[in-house]
Amino acid sequence: MNLEKVLMAFAAAIAIGLPALATAWAQSKIGAAGAGTLAEKPELSATIIVLVAIPETMVILGFVVAAMILFGV
Amino acid sequence: MIVRMSKVEVAGPRELLEKVLSLLRDTGILEIEASSTGFINKIDGAYIDSYLPDRKSLSEKLFLEDFRQRIEELLSYLPVIAARSGYFHPQAIIDTINETLQKHLLTCRGLHLKKEALQKEMAELSRYNVFLDAVEPLLEGLKESPDIDIVGLTLKDPDAEGLLRRALSHLTGDRYELLTSTAADGTGAGLITIHKNMSGRIKQALSDKHIPELRFPSAFGGLTFTGKVSFLKKRLSEISEEIDIINMQLDSFSVKWGTIYQGVREWIDERLSLLKATASVFVTRMCFFIYGWTASEDVIKLKERLSDNFKGKVVLEELEIEEEDLDRMPVILKNPPYFKPFELFTRILPLPRYTSYDPTPFIAIFFPVFFGMILGDAGYGLFIIAVSFVIFKKFREKRNVADACRILMTASLYSIFFGILYGEFFGEFGHTLFGLEPLFIERRTAVIPMLYFSVSVGVVHILIGSFLGLIKAMQRKTKKEALLKLMHISLIIAILALVASLFGLFPALMTRPVILAILIITPVLLFTGGLLAPLEVVKSIGNIISYARIMAIGLTSVLLAYVANHLAGMTGDIIVGTVVAGLLHLLNIMIGIFSPTIHSLRLHYVEFFNKFIEAGGRKFEPFRKKEEYR
Repeated sequence: MNLEKVLMAFAAAIAIGLPALATAWAQSKIGAAGAGTLAEKPELSATIIVLVAIPETMVILGFVVAAMILFGV
Repeated sequence: MIVRMSKVEVAGPRELLEKVLSLLRDTGILEIEASSTGFINKIDGAYIDSYLPDRKSLSEKLFLEDFRQRIEELLSYLPVIAARSGYFHPQAIIDTINETLQKHLLTCRGLHLKKEALQKEMAELSRYNVFLDAVEPLLEGLKESPDIDIVGLTLKDPDAEGLLRRALSHLTGDRYELLTSTAADGTGAGLITIHKNMSGRIKQALSDKHIPELRFPSAFGGLTFTGKVSFLKKRLSEISEEIDIINMQLDSFSVKWGTIYQGVREWIDERLSLLKATASVFVTRMCFFIYGWTASEDVIKLKERLSDNFKGKVVLEELEIEEEDLDRMPVILKNPPYFKPFELFTRILPLPRYTSYDPTPFIAIFFPVFFGMILGDAGYGLFIIAVSFVIFKKFREKRNVADACRILMTASLYSIFFGILYGEFFGEFGHTLFGLEPLFIERRTAVIPMLYFSVSVGVVHILIGSFLGLIKAMQRKTKKEALLKLMHISLIIAILALVASLFGLFPALMTRPVILAILIITPVLLFTGGLLAPLEVVKSIGNIISYARIMAIGLTSVLLAYVANHLAGMTGDIIVGTVVAGLLHLLNIMIGIFSPTIHSLRLHYVEFFNKFIEAGGRKFEPFRKKEEYR
């Protein structure tokens, strides 16, 4: 029973941890490119902020999966 | 909303062309179309040609362009002054002004060049200033005589002084004097006093050791070292005075003539804009034709203006809009006051096509709801309203700031509403303070119900977007596209129904009919949309799941509020506790403004708008006076 809980917690951690790393990696790339863009076109700041937010879908989906694992949906 | 546009033709006798263009520019509601495609039919095309300017117009254009360039040059020499309205009409005195301009340009160019030369000299001499300030006290102790030479130098390395002293001692047999001081910028300044016979050798040695000797400009030749120093100081003071005098002369000139030349430049710009507009005019032997676009609501106004001014000699006719015109019709977005501030968010998007939708009303309706659902705290909502109101009062002239404040105030009202539904007032502080209970759901514990709620919101939002896309396809009478969109919507609904019945949310009895429906819809979808069509459905399902962020971001907010309250309680001191809770709640509010805004916008831009909004519109650019002259 305890091992089952540990495995579930581990699975949930992987489900959210890996997408979080992937999101961070994607955001680092977009953020760096965005910073370069802003130096030349500051009027694009709002667009860049939204672009940076786009990869967050991955971690949101990971969070949903983790919640489903933990809450037994 | 996208304003309804009309395709119009203005026609009249050729001799009135200039006056008509002038009136059109003053009204500023007609965009002149340079191309005749879609305006002139083949039969009429045989009689209608592009307007070719005559010799007089061409020479006037060239003269005015050259005149404007010279005025620009003159104004560039003058200090910027606030534009005032003139009391003269430049056309009547243009020749006089042209002559005066020649003289003024010579005077001001001369003053400007003199000022530039003085500034350059001042910059060069100022380089010595730091050094001279450092050595000036040392000069008091020196006695100058014809046999003595003084060498000035800078010592960048502090250890160099010892080495220098040893070298000088060796070269002069101890017959030297070295005085050092530190300049304001930290570098060392030194003065070497030696007999003139040894001066050449010492200077050569300094050069060999890369110790920079201070060399004065050639104009200083013949002066002693102290003479050079006092001459330099005097010259710097003279230059400063001369620059002040030139500035005063330019200021006085600017006050006297600046407004006049600005007025002339404005008149030239207007005149040139008229001459340039003639390139988009079409003519027959007797008449002119101006084609263009205007808002349908302005057609009557424009007709009346033309009729009143030209006594019926110039007419405006509304032409029939053909299907191929729809792609090139300019777009004007016009929204009622409630929606207007939300144009701040749509301005960063490409303009929608004339046949598409204005995204502003949709974002104005759904953005505050999503913001409220994510933040969902009555206390935070009240705080943000108060802060936004104060900022709005202070910066109401700044359009973007005022719009952002209006949006935040509206969104915070929804935050208060959802805060009451979730039972949150600075987290669970409302419950402790006045027994606030959740009316709908307690977000902190009911994670899965909140997830279902968020995804349900996504289903509704995405389906609304898809239906709007379907309506647009039907309006365009593209049957295949409309059928594809219908199948797309049907398949999404069927898949969602299947998932819901598998999760026990719908009766299990529904599973079979739903599977059957999916099996029927899929081939039709493949037939209408090709092999990639099912991928679009998968993308839409992904889009719907993406709405889970409403729950996820909201959960982080409520948990941070919970942590703030509990940490405050753990301190055991009312003052420390209040400070801790206040700081953490403030941090949460700042995140709570930023995060829901970004994610709500993203849900619109990425998930919602790509279902029905077609970008690629062209901004309406009416023929009118320049912005700064209006």
